[in-house]
Amino acid sequence: MDPEKENNIVDLLDRCLNKGIILNADVIISVAGVPLIGISLKAAIAGIETMLDYGMMEAWDTGTREWYAAELTKKAAVLVDGEEILLRTFGSIRESRGIIQNWRPGYWYITNKRLFLWNGEMLFETPLYGVKALTVETETYFDKEHNILILHINGGSIRIRVSDVIEFREAIEKVSLKKLEMEIPAF
Amino acid sequence: MSEENIGEGRYLYCIINSGATQSPGDTGIEDNPVYTILYNDIAAVVHSCIAKPYTTQDNAKAAEWILSHNYVIDCAAKKFGTVLPFSFDTIVRGSDEVVSCWLKKSYMTLKEELERLKNKAEYSIQIFCDHEYLAKLAGGDHEFGEMKEMVDKMPKGAAYLFRRRFELKMKDALSTEASRLSQEFSSNIREHVEEMRTDEKISHVPEKYAGKKLIAAFSCLVCEDKAGRLGEALDKINKREGFAVRFTGPWAPYSFVRRFDEPGNAVQKREGIEYGS
Repeated sequence: MDPEKENNIVDLLDRCLNKGIILNADVIISVAGVPLIGISLKAAIAGIETMLDYGMMEAWDTGTREWYAAELTKKAAVLVDGEEILLRTFGSIRESRGIIQNWRPGYWYITNKRLFLWNGEMLFETPLYGVKALTVETETYFDKEHNILILHINGGSIRIRVSDVIEFREAIEKVSLKKLEMEIPAF
Repeated sequence: MSEENIGEGRYLYCIINSGATQSPGDTGIEDNPVYTILYNDIAAVVHSCIAKPYTTQDNAKAAEWILSHNYVIDCAAKKFGTVLPFSFDTIVRGSDEVVSCWLKKSYMTLKEELERLKNKAEYSIQIFCDHEYLAKLAGGDHEFGEMKEMVDKMPKGAAYLFRRRFELKMKDALSTEASRLSQEFSSNIREHVEEMRTDEKISHVPEKYAGKKLIAAFSCLVCEDKAGRLGEALDKINKREGFAVRFTGPWAPYSFVRRFDEPGNAVQKREGIEYGS
């Protein structure tokens, strides 16, 4: 096959902006401007999904997560003596106050003693022996279906979200040494 | 800072292997007149500007600038063979003399670099695969059928978790298969090229390949007389069921030219750049 040469702007972007000679720092220079138009132009040309596919947004995403993590560690979760963290994963809990309902985000911690959601303050806390079952329900908000986890504990149930359901469930089972009442067929 | 205080600068396009004065005309960015600054038997292709980088929020304008940048480089390459391309928006503060001093100081390195890249050009290769075909290669279609059967019999909650686990497993299998294929293709290509780099990021793929999975992207430095062979090798891949190859070039050797800075310097420099305003 013969190579195409369309002189297409998209083929040039990666080459002209990120590659080519860049001068020595001791010579005179103003090299620059590149990040501004480079990023905005790439963003305009590639759709957002393409950017995710090719990793363009990763830096941004990582940055946001790091910032959030740093914010959280300013007010680190306080552990009791002998308590060890087994899993920390991003998630949220639904709060209901009368007719007002909202999701409060934070980190779910599973330790060898308890399960809690922390975002600088304690949003929810339960000893692990109190956890009975984990079920999934589909709810419709704004005409879209969402899967919500229901955590059944002594004295009731709470609605939660967790970024990795499987890990979350396995960690609870591991610590509480019992199977949750929900069978997931194994492969 | 007002424009008067900024002082003059020279926008750099490329280095060419010729000691004769050239004036390609008003072909530069914003129709600036392009000319050459000589030292011995090499020259820098430049236009005169204020010592301030080109920035804009207007994408159409930025695209036009980048096309002009490459157009000047392509014209020079047509006339003089191998050139050393500069990154877009490389501007030297000062007059022709400053550029000529830099050429003098870097003469040996530039000359070596021109020699090393002589009669070679850069080509870009991207290899795509249909998602379904890749899944088939990874053994997924069989398992998918089994998974569907099982899911239909399950309660809703369990089915959700089961599907999620299956998706993760498939994702792993697909990326293993993709990296195996990428290695296989890279070894098919390697014998026809002088050097090759894996392109980690491709910011855009044409419509024609949308919906396909990018398996491998390479920038290759190829000898003029070997480009045909490389094309033949790629043809074989392109004809395989489920695969499509995008082969573009020749480009100036953007990916293979030495960067002329220590790794640390580039970072320091870029930190000083304002990202908006």
